[in-house]
Amino acid sequence: MLARCFEEAGISTTGVVFVKEHAERTKPPRMLWVPYAFGNALGRAGDPLIQHQVMKAAFDLLDAQKGPVLEEFEDDTVPADLLQASGAERSGAAKGLNPADELTALRPYYERWVEKNGGRTAVGVSGVPQRRFRGIVRFLEGYTAGEDTDYDGRPVGVGVPQFIRYCVDDLKAFYYEARMEQRPGAENSEIHEWYWGETAMSGLIVRLTETMNQSEDPAVKAIPYGLSR
Amino acid sequence: MPRLETLSEVQRRMLQMFPCMEHDDTPWAPMRKPLSESRVALVTSAGLHLRDDKPFITNPQGGDCSYRVIPRGTPAADIIQSHVSIGFDHAGIYRDINVTFPMDRLEELREQGVVGSLAANYYSYMGALRDTTTVVEETGPEVARKMADEGVDVAFLTPT
Repeated sequence: MLARCFEEAGISTTGVVFVKEHAERTKPPRMLWVPYAFGNALGRAGDPLIQHQVMKAAFDLLDAQKGPVLEEFEDDTVPADLLQASGAERSGAAKGLNPADELTALRPYYERWVEKNGGRTAVGVSGVPQRRFRGIVRFLEGYTAGEDTDYDGRPVGVGVPQFIRYCVDDLKAFYYEARMEQRPGAENSEIHEWYWGETAMSGLIVRLTETMNQSEDPAVKAIPYGLSR
Repeated sequence: MPRLETLSEVQRRMLQMFPCMEHDDTPWAPMRKPLSESRVALVTSAGLHLRDDKPFITNPQGGDCSYRVIPRGTPAADIIQSHVSIGFDHAGIYRDINVTFPMDRLEELREQGVVGSLAANYYSYMGALRDTTTVVEETGPEVARKMADEGVDVAFLTPT
């Protein structure tokens, strides 16, 4: 749909799509259908060679004289299924861990990850500095327990339910980046398994999801679907 | 994406039932000059934005149809993602922004002369919209006008 807007303004477009069946319906002028998992449009993280191959194949579509052109980029890679919380067997709580202490224990790994990556981190959507995440955990635990609670540093204009979503995204990014540092070479699927299967934090997120699902407030009910992924 | 027949029943049904727009025609802007002389902009639906910009929001009415501007040359450390979809693997972009938003690859293509030049600004939307009316009628044409004003010849689109 964006391609249509841009072409109508005289701008040629090309790019990448994941779902061939959707592209066949929307009919963008030129698109490359890739076989990768959602979230990996250019093939593989840290692999400039495959990223350039995908881009070249997409740019080559600009040579077409008419469209729609929907070409397949062939790669034998078989994307791993994305593990959702519901698909994981959780054992973190059984080990006697609590999320705040677990988070603190992971902090050195997280900070090393950030340092090694030139300051780059996916953490930051909530607006809360990671050094204050224990407070976030306490807030989420209180909310999950049914307390009438709020977080003192919640950004102006961001309601509690949306803020919870941002907090959960930040906590997940914190854990994933810490784990990538802690277990270099771990596949994405291993990190998903660890997060949803072994951490106390994921147990809290699942309980939080259940709490929000019980709400009658549409603004609250809109959020939990996106938490346990 | 894996072929639909390889997905779980839940994922397959969700994708098959997704209410995307359907068209019979295809607008077509022909290339006005070779790619090596063209100005290229990056446009993504990955829900990326500057670290200090407003995050995208959960909107059960159909999605967040707004967009964000990401100036070319912005360090990767200053770009974050607030896409609300549950259906994608975030680990890839945690490791390398280029797997979704190939800003470094584009710089390399410019240095190699494959593309002529790069636009001053890139643009980001959040995909997985269930109602695209506002994008089609407002925010899509708005970005198209901005890119035209910035001399963009080619937009390279990426999803997440």
